[in-house]
Amino acid sequence: MAERQLTQVLTQLKSQGSTLSYADAASLLSKAKLLLLQLNALTPTSTTNPTLLFLARETYEQGALASIRAKNPEAFTRYVSQLSGYYELPSSVLDPNVAERNKVTGLYLLLLLTQARYAEFHSELEALTTREGAGGSVDIETDPYLGYPICLERWLMEGSYDRVWKAMKKGEVPCEEYSVFSEILTSQIRSEIASSSERAYPSLPLSSTKSLLFLDSEGAVVEFARSRNWTIKDGHIIFPSTSSAAAGAAAASAGEVEGGDEQAQEFSKMIINNALGYARELETIV
Amino acid sequence: MPGKTPDKEPVENGGYRGGKDIEMTDKDLKPKGKKSVKEGDDEMTVVVPPSKASKQSSAPPPNDADGDVAMDDSSKAEDGEVKVDPVVQTINDIKSNFALLDRAVALFDARFSLRALRSISSIRKRLTPDILTQVIGETIPSSSPSSHVAKQLLLAVGRPDVPVGRQPGPEMEIDSEPKSSAKNGVKKESKEVIPEIDIFLGILTQVFLLDTKQFQLGFEFSRYLSERVQSLNRRTLDSLSAKVYFYYSLFSEQIAPLPPSPQSPIVSIRPTLLSALRTAVLRKDIDTQSSVIVLLLRSYLLTSHIAQADLLVSHTQFPENAANNQVARFLYYLGRTRAIQLRYTEAHEHLTAATRKAPSSACALGFSQTATKLLLVVELLMGDIPDRATFRQPNMEAALHPYFLLVQAVRVGNLEDFETTIIDHADTFRRDGTYSLILRLRQNVIKTGIRMMSLSYSRISLRDICIRLHLGSEESAEYIVAKAIRDGVIEATLDRERGFMKSKEIGDVYATREPGEAFHDRIRACLALHDESVKAMRFPMNQHRLELKNAQEAREREREMAKEIQEGDLDEDDLGGDFEGM
Repeated sequence: MAERQLTQVLTQLKSQGSTLSYADAASLLSKAKLLLLQLNALTPTSTTNPTLLFLARETYEQGALASIRAKNPEAFTRYVSQLSGYYELPSSVLDPNVAERNKVTGLYLLLLLTQARYAEFHSELEALTTREGAGGSVDIETDPYLGYPICLERWLMEGSYDRVWKAMKKGEVPCEEYSVFSEILTSQIRSEIASSSERAYPSLPLSSTKSLLFLDSEGAVVEFARSRNWTIKDGHIIFPSTSSAAAGAAAASAGEVEGGDEQAQEFSKMIINNALGYARELETIV
Repeated sequence: MPGKTPDKEPVENGGYRGGKDIEMTDKDLKPKGKKSVKEGDDEMTVVVPPSKASKQSSAPPPNDADGDVAMDDSSKAEDGEVKVDPVVQTINDIKSNFALLDRAVALFDARFSLRALRSISSIRKRLTPDILTQVIGETIPSSSPSSHVAKQLLLAVGRPDVPVGRQPGPEMEIDSEPKSSAKNGVKKESKEVIPEIDIFLGILTQVFLLDTKQFQLGFEFSRYLSERVQSLNRRTLDSLSAKVYFYYSLFSEQIAPLPPSPQSPIVSIRPTLLSALRTAVLRKDIDTQSSVIVLLLRSYLLTSHIAQADLLVSHTQFPENAANNQVARFLYYLGRTRAIQLRYTEAHEHLTAATRKAPSSACALGFSQTATKLLLVVELLMGDIPDRATFRQPNMEAALHPYFLLVQAVRVGNLEDFETTIIDHADTFRRDGTYSLILRLRQNVIKTGIRMMSLSYSRISLRDICIRLHLGSEESAEYIVAKAIRDGVIEATLDRERGFMKSKEIGDVYATREPGEAFHDRIRACLALHDESVKAMRFPMNQHRLELKNAQEAREREREMAKEIQEGDLDEDDLGGDFEGM
């Protein structure tokens, strides 16, 4: 009885998943979870009926996708951790639905990436290579869902931001849920680019800054420049860090004796400290 | 080394000893690269300085004085047969260990049991079911409670029908226990066999089953043995039970489905290991504690449960004075976890310590090779270029060759070479479990490439950079260079309009504080080494008592002398101060 109800709820969730508002989806999901509880299948046990396992997994997957659409990372993480138990089941017990599984895992990886939790990202990646049915990392990289966050991570690390930008455009994302992260990622890479431009260029014309930062108009550039305290002069952006560094350099050259002295003093203090430490140690040894 | 080592160990570890890359020889046997660690580990447990074997044979005479049952038996056996017979020799060797165990119990000194355990490596090559059966049969009287153990042992060896408590004479069936016990009771003066001895026999059986690849049987037997170990609460068993768990988990790794799969038996034995760890911590049983922590870490890493491994490390405290081999392994696994978590500095620290702590003899070559490989990758990830000398060590050269190519590519910053190396040796890297780490190196290669170019040219166009480094587009090149500048990889500026990179003058390294810091680091390492070696020194027990006794005697003499002097009418005042001073 409960099982049939659950199947109904699930089909409803699946058929109109993307059009459903989050509140509706949430109410359906909580209903599904209650049914699961009645069936005693909230967590996988060795005695649980395979069809129930299948239904439970579907529920959680739908839940995960719904919470991503609603931009609720906490709920999503919760669903992912509930799912991990199902994904570890052998294929003999529960036939794996590779596409859905990879979709959810890929989204999770992307979430970790946008939250800059690189350690967990790589731990998760390591676990993927040994996952049953994955068959080595070659498959992982060619999989559209899993390969996407992996490539993004690589490009972010080496600094090919233009590729990240291209990958995030519409049509490039493997499925609509992935585009949720685009916004976060865009602002993330924009601030990355901004901080590296500050150091790399002495000045930049407004027009090229626009293309560099993937902004839509020069007005947006001006706004962005203001938010980062950049000064704009004759259609050029002058980066404060370089100018202040230049000023600092000028000041240093002017009062070189003073600044140099201070540094040297600190340095010699350190050396004296070390030498005294060695002497003490030697004394205890001899 | 390479010439003579490979044939020393006949099975399982055999192919892993030589100078060649240990996995190349029989990779089809091993499902994954991580296996080699185990081989290394395994080897490490049996490290035996050559002198120990000879010591073993010299051990019996003093033990004879103890007059315990085991020795009686062995002398009987010797009488019966020719002395040079290897079988008899082995049996005697095994039995000589019983004396050591006896003494360990009597004196409550773990060193004797450790010595017994060390001899396993010399015995394991000679083990046959016959020898084991004979020893078991002769050692354990069927009357004692351990007769049950004996039955299990015999079952494991594949001789369930051999009677327990055998004495040369009429054979006794196991069923007719009362009779045989009565008989044995008389013959053996019914001395109780200490549990240490039957656990020791159990370990020998485990080793035998492992060497003969009877994994399923070994697994079941180990489960029984570990249950028994847990039921006994004897401090003298500590080092033995550590070994029992060690082999238990080795067996579980060999049974299908093999480790990476979450259904592997290593997952199912985790509760056992965890409870063993709990007990060991409560009993301050350092041996079991350290080896079980290492086993758990290994098990987590085999199934890629990095988060769990990390939690285990943060929630347990690895015993400080654990055996050196366990420390080395622990550091290796820790380094591995940290490397995956991108904490390279820590990983580097742990792995360096692990490679240094690894025994330098050829026995643990597998371990040092694996640890060195990982260390090399971590060094590369940190942006360092490993020492060329690392690759020249004769016993490592072949094994490290793929990594050598990799280092070359990274050093020059040649992305093309780097990719071809990865493709060519992908299998090797996967087997070593370094593949995903190596993939992360790509950015380092690019960075090095940019640095090389920034050093050689004062001004270079972005187009040239893009072509040299095989980057996708000029735009990518621009972003990448800008990032490199921000990360402090190079000192340069970019000119957007004209599209080139201009390098800044580089200062003299020796004018900075860097040399001083490097020097300080080295001195600190030396001092730490000194401290550690002082701590590691061992002083004979009760030596101070001897000194005290001497002092006592000296004082006595002094007193007598004083008395004599007193009687001899000498000036008392002169002696007074001295006397008090004593």
